[in-house]
Amino acid sequence: MTRWLVLIAAVAAILLGAVALGPAPLGVGDVWRGLTGSAEGPAATIVRDLRLPRVLLAFLVGGSLSVTGAALQALVRNPLADPYLLGLSGGAGLGAVTAIALQLTSPWAVPVAALVGAIGAILLVYRVAVVTGSVLDTRVLLLGGVVVGAFAASVMGAIMALSPAPEVRNALMWLLGSFGRASWQAVAVFAVYAVIPLSMLYGLARPLDLLALGEEPARFLGTDVERTKRVLYLTASALTAVAVSLSGIIGFVGLVVPHAVRLTWARLHRALLPAAFVVGGALMVIADALARTAFAPLEMPVGVVTALIGVPVFVLLVRRWAS
Amino acid sequence: MGELIVRADAVWFRYSGAEADAVRDITLSVAPGELVGIVGPNGSGKTTLLRLVLGVLQPTAGAVEVAGQPVARWSRRGLARLVGVVAQREEPMFPLRVDQTVLFGRYPHLGPLGAPRRHDLEAVQNALDRCDVADLAERWVDTLSGGEWQRVRIARALAQEPKALVLDEATANLDIRHEMEVFELTARLVRQEGIAAIVVTHHLNLVARYADRIVVMDRGAARASGSPGDVLRKDILEEVFEWPVAVTQWGGVPQYVPLRRDESGADRAATP
Amino acid sequence: MVDHAGHPVRLASPPERIVSLSPSLTELLFALGSGERLVGRTRWSAYPPEAQAIPSVGDGLDPNLEIVTARRPDLVVFYHTPANAAAIARLDDLGIGSLSVRLDQLDDVDPAVRLLGRVTGDSVRADSLADAFRRELNRLRRRSFDVRVGALLLAWDAPPIVIGGGSFLSEIVHLAGGRNVFADLRQPSATVSIEAIAVRAPDVVVLVEESELTVAGRPEWETITAVRERRFVRVHGSEFSWPSLRAGQAVAQLAGALSTGSP
Repeated sequence: MTRWLVLIAAVAAILLGAVALGPAPLGVGDVWRGLTGSAEGPAATIVRDLRLPRVLLAFLVGGSLSVTGAALQALVRNPLADPYLLGLSGGAGLGAVTAIALQLTSPWAVPVAALVGAIGAILLVYRVAVVTGSVLDTRVLLLGGVVVGAFAASVMGAIMALSPAPEVRNALMWLLGSFGRASWQAVAVFAVYAVIPLSMLYGLARPLDLLALGEEPARFLGTDVERTKRVLYLTASALTAVAVSLSGIIGFVGLVVPHAVRLTWARLHRALLPAAFVVGGALMVIADALARTAFAPLEMPVGVVTALIGVPVFVLLVRRWAS
Repeated sequence: MGELIVRADAVWFRYSGAEADAVRDITLSVAPGELVGIVGPNGSGKTTLLRLVLGVLQPTAGAVEVAGQPVARWSRRGLARLVGVVAQREEPMFPLRVDQTVLFGRYPHLGPLGAPRRHDLEAVQNALDRCDVADLAERWVDTLSGGEWQRVRIARALAQEPKALVLDEATANLDIRHEMEVFELTARLVRQEGIAAIVVTHHLNLVARYADRIVVMDRGAARASGSPGDVLRKDILEEVFEWPVAVTQWGGVPQYVPLRRDESGADRAATP
Repeated sequence: MVDHAGHPVRLASPPERIVSLSPSLTELLFALGSGERLVGRTRWSAYPPEAQAIPSVGDGLDPNLEIVTARRPDLVVFYHTPANAAAIARLDDLGIGSLSVRLDQLDDVDPAVRLLGRVTGDSVRADSLADAFRRELNRLRRRSFDVRVGALLLAWDAPPIVIGGGSFLSEIVHLAGGRNVFADLRQPSATVSIEAIAVRAPDVVVLVEESELTVAGRPEWETITAVRERRFVRVHGSEFSWPSLRAGQAVAQLAGALSTGSP
């Protein structure tokens, strides 16, 4: 029990620290007053309306990606699975690029288009993977995801090649992921939306333990394997689709955090999923803080930072696993 | 709950798109306190029959009942509280500790949110002890030998506190001592605690010494069914396994000896 | 004679068939009266209107040499950037003359016009144009302003891409009486965080040909006062797309827009 308290305290400290960081040179006093709501003025606006929603959105998205990564690794019984394996990132990217190329003016045009694209990809892969009756073959799921993702990426490339130059470059930037679009609205939308899929995934913690053994052992230990696979896939995909539509494609968090948590904290999903959520959220917050302060006022795509952090961590994990 | 744990009545099955039936007109019943062996050459339908009995496949004709209810009416959870299954092979993707693994046997009994209670932990310890893996409890399963891993999985099945145990070639990787211990343990559970056991195995001689009944399968049909004495006969075995054998006796139970090529024709078995 | 890439210019006689791989250089060639000698231009060469009549050879960066050489040029004019080195080397192999011209800042316009003039044999016209441009530029630079309007030059909104001090547009803003809030960045353009924009508190947002609606609708941009109060300034025209002899017109248009604050 105490170790959970320590973990949560550490994560809370990280979130507070991230709110205190940024390209705007704000002192601790400014930050504190902005948080406690006892001041007005530009500093308070920056803290309350820019940094705080951004930190919260990064936390929620990072946590959600980690939880779906863990669930998908058990579902497809592959340690290399991550939330983007199922083709939906290609679909989201295609949707977003199409919206940008069509020069749609609504501020929600790109996120909604990305969501539509992601859902389209999910349904397409699901259709492909449902082989006979309602049996979801996870190997076909993996292959289907790769194929749909590759197809979407090539269509995306075609659109980008045929579009005027600035849109091309800017579409690419969107794909690399950013929390710059964070606002209280976005946080509210995601928080409300994510509650159901996250609760459902947590409710499937024990079936996930069993599914990781294999479909037959899981079945004989009491899991309704087909229903569990379906619910897992659709829930994980829905959660990732919304995350991608709000913040672009941010890799490595969903892949690396579950493994890091397995090796250091817990392997059974009842503890693994909440721990992965909290650790993944904190990692994303750190990555976003680095992305916007390391070369201030310039902002790096957060996907670049997660890759820079994620690759060495992954190498360490692999070595520890192999030993 | 009826008298019989498992009952298959004139069951037929054909895989979709196949030219021939995989299981033909099999009738099988297993009562509490009975050990039934299922033997036969590769491809004779043993595995298919098992999957029909466990409700994984639906028969194209005939009926399967578990504990008095059609098997399709059981939820997987309900079935898992009744039947423990140990397969030949299992590859752990994310290795766990032995005690965590055996605890999975209690999952069918746990609510979705409830934590394991004292009875669950006792059942786990009991299972570990009976399978002689208690001293391995803290070990990671990817460090175990093949035989140790198999015994751990048997312990997991026992932790389910099942009314029936299904061993699907579960002793394939075990050495003599551990294979014997598994059979001894199974036999003891059957006799003393009234568990029903279905043992699918290639080790015909061994199962003959423990089983109450044996079903010999050949090309989907039951070529012979009855006590070991009725079933382990030279004519039946040679027809089904397509190899010359001699049949002898040990402790009142027939045992077969497959013959070498230069031995056939010279029947050394003395059949009392 | 050596061009801005240090590459020797080898031409026996003034070129008769010129392909221009940069819209800014296309415009200068027309200004020098060499428009009839152009046989190829990039798809982005929109000015002057007569340029539309010349066949397009595709993109200027990473050009399709097959299409370029199909126009049978004796001179290909490049915007100076290291990325074009490979194409220039290939043209050398093919025996086709190439010329790299630097044109990033307003100070580059004068030497660019003169170099092009020498190569095309229009030196007199070139010197006259360059002198007039230099005089106007100096006049604009001598102007002083009591109050400078803080301007955010926004090229894209998601992610926020701003024009930095490395772009000629930054000087256009300065000459028009404004102050590019990101003039301290050495890059021509850069992705920044919204927070960085908020802290620099621009007075207006300058949009080049972009609709302000995408920015105006977003909640996170509302933290920028200029966006919240809808103080957008729009400017039009290719004189804002590249440094050109029309810089004075660009300055005038922007100055007018900044003073009235009208879109």
